[in-house]
Amino acid sequence: MMSAYRPACQWQSRAVLMRHLRVHVRNWHTMLVPPIFEPLILLLAFGVGLGRQIEAFAWQGIEMSYLRYLAPGMLAYTAFMIAFFQALFGAFVRMHFQKSWEGQLTTMVRLEHVVWGEALWAASYATGYAVVLGCVLAVFGAFGRLDLHWQWLPAVVPLLFLAALAFAAVGLYFTAVVPTIDHMSLPFFLVIMPIGFASSTYFPLPDIAVLREAVQLNPLHHLAQGLRWLLVAGRFTWHLPAAAGLCVGLIVLLVPLDMRLLRKRIFGEA
Amino acid sequence: MLLTHESDSDQLLVATGLVKHLGGKRVVDGIDLVVAAGEVLGLLGPNGAGKTTTLRMCYGYLRPDAGSITIEGHDLTREQDAARRVLGVCTQDDTFDTDFTVKQNLVQTGRYYRPRQHDIDRRIEGLLDQFGLREYADQSPETLSGGYRRRLMIARAVVHEPKVVFLDEPTTGLDPQARVAVWELVRSLREQGMAVVLTTHYMDEAARLSDRLQVLQRGRVRAQGVAEEVLGDVVGEHVVLLDNNEPRTAEALQWIERELRSRAKPSQVLTQWHVPLDAEGLSRFVASFADLRYEVRPPTLDDLFLALSEEREP
Repeated sequence: MMSAYRPACQWQSRAVLMRHLRVHVRNWHTMLVPPIFEPLILLLAFGVGLGRQIEAFAWQGIEMSYLRYLAPGMLAYTAFMIAFFQALFGAFVRMHFQKSWEGQLTTMVRLEHVVWGEALWAASYATGYAVVLGCVLAVFGAFGRLDLHWQWLPAVVPLLFLAALAFAAVGLYFTAVVPTIDHMSLPFFLVIMPIGFASSTYFPLPDIAVLREAVQLNPLHHLAQGLRWLLVAGRFTWHLPAAAGLCVGLIVLLVPLDMRLLRKRIFGEA
Repeated sequence: MLLTHESDSDQLLVATGLVKHLGGKRVVDGIDLVVAAGEVLGLLGPNGAGKTTTLRMCYGYLRPDAGSITIEGHDLTREQDAARRVLGVCTQDDTFDTDFTVKQNLVQTGRYYRPRQHDIDRRIEGLLDQFGLREYADQSPETLSGGYRRRLMIARAVVHEPKVVFLDEPTTGLDPQARVAVWELVRSLREQGMAVVLTTHYMDEAARLSDRLQVLQRGRVRAQGVAEEVLGDVVGEHVVLLDNNEPRTAEALQWIERELRSRAKPSQVLTQWHVPLDAEGLSRFVASFADLRYEVRPPTLDDLFLALSEEREP
């Protein structure tokens, strides 16, 4: 069992991670466009535009603007969605179309390293994306449009990385099982979108008993709520350790499963 | 039985009793391989014989179900890093990294090995010259012709100065000129003292490049040795060519089937039948069909493939 986790710290996994980083850094100017403009557009459209239509907005008894509610949710959602997409589409393309996995696997890099390299890259990329988003939020703060407990923003970066790593492990699971790239819409619409929306990221969830129970197992919900309590109210709540615990659980559970399924897919071995 | 002409200390690749099941089928069934420094071993066999699977086990891509593999004395299962450090692989498909240029591909491949080559930059510059890739160094590999893509694949395989190199059908799909260029590169690897394992469908290529041949059939070693030994073992000493338009050809084939019952069966190639025979079989045939028009020639490695594809189960 341990053999699935030890490669995370080995140099081969870093070599794979650095390979992806080199490719992306080379295109840094185009790479920076999405993390700057996507949140900018979302904050202007939903936070400012839609938020203006919402006269009185309260969360947990705290009155606030919708923009203020939205900002921590966007941080959580970014870690979730970007990591998942990189681990699903990016990894699938490298595995299936570019055959760069096969090239790596004929060197000192083994499948465990490729899997960890992909997961670490997806997590790093998503975390970087979230950091840029944090900077965009800070600009809104500097112009007096957003009031958060800014001192906590750097402190949540490690948690965002952990969450992104867990979501990358989910993405790699689907990379291992989807038959073709055309089938990727299935996990996206049947799994990822429901998880993404049942998570208190973009709007407070309705108080329905079943939903209230179900979201307790959703790490994204705890991440969004935990970040919101911390950044809006300056309070550390149980949601943050709950998010961390669920994410660690996902990593522990899914990474060995990903390796097993990918071994079967790539090598035809059980 | 392992067949080698080198001393044990020169043996860089020793694989014993390899077995592999894929998709519920026994694809490799007890294959042994030994290759020494400065030696080229040609693995031959029809499609599905187990060549690529054997190769993939030997370079650590697949795990054998049974058997052992040592590379320069390092057990490939227990000392994976040490064993993989000294082997290089050129796969059948192009697996270079399309996100990098030709030169960057060599640099990036070097990063997948530790300890790092101490003079990796000089090594890469040397490979660009040796493999004729200098003028394409800053281009994407996807813009290269088939022959140059293969050169890049082989250059990637040796960037870290391995001791054992695996070349899986390195010239498939290339024009004759590009094939000859690849042959020269393979020869240069041998001259540098590398042990080379080569799979190919081209008989002339196997005969020209290989010091020894190992013929696989249905996952087993059917014959091994130098080209002449392998031919004699599988095909026989002679090949009789019968014209299909000759009236007595059908009768002759029936006679061969009934009287000689040799393991290698006749095979039809366009309007001719190729009939492998040993010396005794040939003399009996000549005595029985004195008035028949036919040709007799020594067997080639093409006959080997035909014989293998027609051969009865032992």
